[in-house]
Amino acid sequence: MSTTTSTALTTQVYQVFIKATPEAIWDAITRPEFTARYFHGARITVTPDHYDSRSPDGEVWGDEAVLEFDPPHRLVHGWRSLYDPELADEEPSRVTWEIESQEGYCLLTVTHDQLESSPKTAASVAGPGWMMVFSGLKTLLETGEPLVEA
Amino acid sequence: MAEDDDRVFKALADATRRHLLDRLFEQDGRTLTELESELEMTRFGVMKHLRVLEDAGLVVSLRSGREKLHYLNPVPIRLIHDRWIDKYTEHRVSALAELKTRLEETA
Repeated sequence: MSTTTSTALTTQVYQVFIKATPEAIWDAITRPEFTARYFHGARITVTPDHYDSRSPDGEVWGDEAVLEFDPPHRLVHGWRSLYDPELADEEPSRVTWEIESQEGYCLLTVTHDQLESSPKTAASVAGPGWMMVFSGLKTLLETGEPLVEA
Repeated sequence: MAEDDDRVFKALADATRRHLLDRLFEQDGRTLTELESELEMTRFGVMKHLRVLEDAGLVVSLRSGREKLHYLNPVPIRLIHDRWIDKYTEHRVSALAELKTRLEETA
C-alpha cells in the first residue's frame, strides 16, 4: 500500500452519480435546511450573487461571491475556509458544481481549483473534507437519511 | 448502484490500474504522455487502462487547451468504504490494518 502523500492539489475534481433529479440536487446544495444534514453541519444559503455558510451556532464559515448561477445545472462560487483561522488567511479559491442529467440519475462534478496559493486549504479539503460531503449528499438524496447526524 | 460497485472493484482488480491511481494521487491532473513515461507499457495499453478507470468513475479527464488532463476521483472509493467498511466492523478492521502496518514496518 502506498503511503506517499499527495503534493499537487491545486485542482481537485470530484464526481458522483446520484439517483435524483437535477432540481433536487440543486436544492440540496443551495438551501441551508439540506446542507446542514451533510455538509459538516454547515447551513449554506446560495442566492444568485451570494454564498453564505454558517456554523450550527451562526458563526460565519463562508462568505463569498457567486460567480455563476444557472439552476439546476451550474453553480460557481468563491471559497475561503473561514471556519479555520489559519486557512482563512490564505488566498480565495473557486468551487464549480456541474449537474448533468442522465437516464434516471445525475452526474455531479465538483471542481475545486485556483488553489495554487492556498496549500493548506487544498490539503484540508482534499482529505475527508469534500468526500464526506459527497458521500453524505448522495445518501441524503437517495435515502432521505443523512450519513451522520449533524 | 450495484453495477457501479462492480465497475470499481473490477477496475481496482489490476496492479497497473492501481499503480496509475497511485501516480495520480502523488500528482494529479496529468496527461497521457506523462503517465505513459512512468510505465513500461505502450501508449495504447495505458489508454486502455485509463479508459477502464474512467468508466468506473475513478479517473475524470478534463480538457485544458489542447491537453487532456487526468484527475483521480476518490469518491467511488469513499462510497465503497462507507458501504463495506463502515457498515461492518470498522474498529476491528482498523485494528488489523494497524497491525499489518506495524508488522510490515518492522519487517
